[in-house]
Amino acid sequence: MSFLVNPYWYGCGDADANAFLTAAGITDATISQAICTLVTSMKANGTWAKCSAIYPFVGGTATTHRWNLKDPRDLNAAFRLSFIGGWTHSSNGALPNGTNAYADSFLIPNISLTANSGHLSYYTRTNSAFTSEIPMGVSGSLGGTGFDIVIRRPGNTNRFLSSESSGVTGIVTSTSTDSRGLTTGSITSSSSRKIYKNGTLLNTNSSTITWARNTFSIFIGAINISDNVTGPNFYTNKQCSFASIGIGLTDGEAAALYTAVQAFQTTLSRQV
Amino acid sequence: MQVHILTYEEAQSLIGVQFIPDNYFNPIQDADGNWIISTEEVQQCSIEWVKLLPLITYKPITPPDLWQE
Repeated sequence: MSFLVNPYWYGCGDADANAFLTAAGITDATISQAICTLVTSMKANGTWAKCSAIYPFVGGTATTHRWNLKDPRDLNAAFRLSFIGGWTHSSNGALPNGTNAYADSFLIPNISLTANSGHLSYYTRTNSAFTSEIPMGVSGSLGGTGFDIVIRRPGNTNRFLSSESSGVTGIVTSTSTDSRGLTTGSITSSSSRKIYKNGTLLNTNSSTITWARNTFSIFIGAINISDNVTGPNFYTNKQCSFASIGIGLTDGEAAALYTAVQAFQTTLSRQV
Repeated sequence: MQVHILTYEEAQSLIGVQFIPDNYFNPIQDADGNWIISTEEVQQCSIEWVKLLPLITYKPITPPDLWQE
């Protein structure tokens, strides 16, 4: 009996990491190690279980960037991304052009997230104050029920929105003078909505609301305004090198997520 | 910023078409009602007639952000 050994296979002992690497067709040793460590770190710190979708944007092409690390099946139901419009894909991540580029995650908050519990995170290497951007999110209409994050606009502002039907009652804003790094928004109860930068809490909105979870899917690179009129809009020009969607993260989990993601980016030599 | 202008029929023909593997064209309308696609899509695609599309200055449709506090 003989065994055929693939000399380019650098998988790790984690089945989830290996499933992602196989789906994406990635054999590069550095990327494989980075993915393996990211998965094991997130499992150890509890953030893996909080995520429905994790997009590590490795491999340098749309074909490798589209996979969900949590469920690397080639299905909309697995939240595999569909890239639309002017993206530029590279080893540093996926760069939207701020004109017509977005990606559909197919993840619908009303189905995949739970009552008053949700988070969005977006790691960018781009430092820009981009007019009217909403790099990630979904809304029922302009100014309506929304779930989104803004990283940095002119005026050096950011925000996390997880609103009830009146639109702005769930908003938490802060100052953002440098958009680079991991911006995270998290709702963990009817009276706790927080925005974080690189794991550090920036601001809290403690007013009591009931988050109205949207019934359409979350976009990356723009917001999905699902009113059959506006569509994708508020496009961003911020390169995405990691993104996640899931239930709410505590302060400690937001910090732990940043630590794991920054180590991941450092292994790939693309940290900011 | 420059974008490529195309006719309605040309725009419709690109919907659902990949300009690179696993990345689809996204023809949109600008503020003047022109159908346009981005320079990134044209530069990365290998469709000859798309590469010949003329350039115009982009005028975005920017709705008000009604979620502002």
